Amino acid sequence: MTKTSPSEHATAAPVPEASAKATAARSGFRIGPEGWTTLALFGLTVFMILASRLISSGFGSWQQAQAILLLSSFTIVLGFGQGLVILIGGLDLSVGVVMTLGGILAYRWIGTSLVALFWAIPCILLVTGCVGAINGLGATLLRLPPFIMTLATSLIIYGVFLGFTGGQPRGVASPALTSAYTSTFAGLPVILWLLLIFIILATLVQSHSSFGRRLYAVGTSPMAAYIAGLPVRLLIVAAYAISGATSGLAGILLVGYATGATLTMGQSYLLPSVAAVVVGGASILGGRGTYLATVGGALLLTTLSTIIEALGLAEGWRTVIYGLVIMLALLALRENMGIGWALTPKFRNTASRSRPGGAGHKPNKTGGNG
Amino acid sequence: MQHQTDEIDDASGGPAPQTPVLRVAGVSKAYGATIALNSVTLEVLSGEVHALLGENGAGKSTFVKVLSGIVRQGGGALSLDGTPYEPRSLMDARRSGVSTAFQELSLLPNLTVAANLTLPHPLKGGLGLASRSRNEARAVELLHQFDAADISPRSIVSRLSLAQKQRIEIIRAISHRPRLLVLDEPTAALAEPEWLFRIVEQLAASGMATLYISHRLSEVRRLCNKGTILRNGDSIGPIAIAETSDNEIFRMMVGKRSEERRQVASGSSVVRDVAIEVSGLTGESIHDVGFSLHKGEVVGVAALEGQGQRELFRILGGVARPLRGTISLEGSLVNLKSPGQALAAGAGIAFVPEERKSEGIFLTQSTCANVTLPLLNRLSRFGLVSSRREYAVAADQIQRVQLAERLLRLRISALSGGNQQKALIMRVLLSGARSLILFDPTRGVDVGTKQTIYEVIHRFVQDGGSVLIYSTELPELVKLSHRCLVLYRGRVAGELSGENLSEEGLVALATGHNIEEIRSRETA
Repeated sequence: MTKTSPSEHATAAPVPEASAKATAARSGFRIGPEGWTTLALFGLTVFMILASRLISSGFGSWQQAQAILLLSSFTIVLGFGQGLVILIGGLDLSVGVVMTLGGILAYRWIGTSLVALFWAIPCILLVTGCVGAINGLGATLLRLPPFIMTLATSLIIYGVFLGFTGGQPRGVASPALTSAYTSTFAGLPVILWLLLIFIILATLVQSHSSFGRRLYAVGTSPMAAYIAGLPVRLLIVAAYAISGATSGLAGILLVGYATGATLTMGQSYLLPSVAAVVVGGASILGGRGTYLATVGGALLLTTLSTIIEALGLAEGWRTVIYGLVIMLALLALRENMGIGWALTPKFRNTASRSRPGGAGHKPNKTGGNG
Repeated sequence: MQHQTDEIDDASGGPAPQTPVLRVAGVSKAYGATIALNSVTLEVLSGEVHALLGENGAGKSTFVKVLSGIVRQGGGALSLDGTPYEPRSLMDARRSGVSTAFQELSLLPNLTVAANLTLPHPLKGGLGLASRSRNEARAVELLHQFDAADISPRSIVSRLSLAQKQRIEIIRAISHRPRLLVLDEPTAALAEPEWLFRIVEQLAASGMATLYISHRLSEVRRLCNKGTILRNGDSIGPIAIAETSDNEIFRMMVGKRSEERRQVASGSSVVRDVAIEVSGLTGESIHDVGFSLHKGEVVGVAALEGQGQRELFRILGGVARPLRGTISLEGSLVNLKSPGQALAAGAGIAFVPEERKSEGIFLTQSTCANVTLPLLNRLSRFGLVSSRREYAVAADQIQRVQLAERLLRLRISALSGGNQQKALIMRVLLSGARSLILFDPTRGVDVGTKQTIYEVIHRFVQDGGSVLIYSTELPELVKLSHRCLVLYRGRVAGELSGENLSEEGLVALATGHNIEEIRSRETA
């Protein structure tokens, strides 16, 4: 049927020199494009913190760096769940409200008791995880578009809050949670150590566990994953459930940081959670992205908003600059991944399109008989 | 260029030489390295119904696309009524007087019959807006004229039966009053082809030229005097249909290749255990399909496009569900609800789908990750995958499919199609399944990869595995399989094995003919 030139057998494009050198020969590990994105994000964050000295002498200090780390802890935690959902090709717009749910429950259940900490936190994670699982079931069994499903869930939960709390959540901020932000261990706030543990565990789950590897497969091509025998629906529901639980965790942390709970406490973290993942180089179509890059994205965005805040500009300008910088960051960071990947097939098509007008074209002048 | 000839031309050869409506001279078309058309030459006269015959992949669809302006030819020349014809688009072709009824129907499913018949230029009402009543009136007129008054112009196309849709597709093509009508497998879904024959004969009498693409020789004999055969992108002909026997036509379609020696010693004397037994399998496009696949056996499936093979393979792979019928693995009945279940059922069934890029491999992942996906549990401890062990296992295994180790770390999208296919086959082998369901596994891959895939299949069945393989390339089936089933219109039309397994035999069965009958008629 088809004739293919034998030269095609000469396999794929040669390994580029640079990446061959970057190959750590023994472990089978190398810094791929995703690794470079992560490094670039961390580098940019450090650079911005140092450069902010120019704006104000109080900036660029170690204290300020710590403050930024504390502030970004919520987005970093949210970003894990959001990142997994985006990895499987979905989107979780309920993270803000579920974060609020976690916060309100923590405010109410934990109180001043230290014992409550040990039963309440698992319970809160379970409840918020279930909310996430419901999102996942809606996206798989009911086949609702993920953003509609998660938006609907968040509206419903918000309505339930209003009904139950009468607009004003009651409770006490747990002193234990607050102390995670105020007390230090080995020179760093306790929360940063906890965050470090979280990041390590999350990276292991996303990039090095068989579960995470299956999520990548599902995100790359759900149909191929299905044919390869993976339980695609279960994996999708699991990703949403984790997103619910990490949102709940972020809510618990926020109660400790803000020493209080409001009905809108999580709202402002929804967009940063998506932005951190996307700035980190993940494809919104799924299948690509690493958690470390999301962490980098969260740090970069938090640094950025802190600095913009310090510029003393009007609120409108701050938002404009924030938006512009996110756009620029996306363009710059996607250079080697997103854009190249998205455009290549198109270019290939145009290149292979045959020239207009065949080579052997001759006007055919046979005398008509009409 | 579009002048209506009122004189009635006699296709069987009036003495006066006339300008053909369509003249095609040495037309070629390549997609990258793949040559779809090498050199096609043919002429269709006014009032003639010219047959175009060829097996799968001979280039028929590409030729239709060139004629109807969807793709542009690479070389050669086309002329219409003596004027150079180079359509830039479907609309351009239609303006020049060529309209096509496509095999893959081109109707808009969510619009009404009337809208489909009058697009792209719906009749306007008073305000310059499309007028529903005028369009419906026009549709009724067309439906009556072409003997399809049973179809309501208000029906939504997606609710029509396949046969009705095909009639609408044909009527729409004819309604443009073309100089040349291209009918691509027009009777594939028609219950009563006589309807079409009447219309075509009537229009031919008024001077329209028709290119009739079909694999049904009986229809071709009924309608056409002359024909052209496409084989591997080359045209053979013109041939006088009436003076050429079915067998000669099959031989021309298949060519010399059939002399190639078969490699597999067929008809193994030892009766082996049954791996998969299928009986009464019925789905949307298959009816009462039954066969058995033994351990150590390669069973081929041959069929023209769309004879139900896709559904059959997807059912066996657990992707689609049958309406009726049973599948048993090693004697016990199974219900394959998902590919995961198929892999886990009995000794395991693994499916290689036709769409490598969207259903087979994971494009954004590394080759290594693609290959080791089925092994993740075995490669991990406490849920964590050891990347060193993973790499070592992959590097060790890919030698079985002759894939270079350096490709493991690359993203699989950077690999050639052939290497991607090797990686996919490797993954399927690593799943541990003892039965492979391969749907056109060598499609679009290079010669070297094909050879590798053949070797892998040989080794797999030698080790007691079993393989069911569909291929669009008949020589491949003849070479690889011990037995070959032929599907025609969703049913098993026959089975060839041993010395009877030949390309001519497969072509005959696949086009709804019986090779034994033909042979006995010839010898008689």
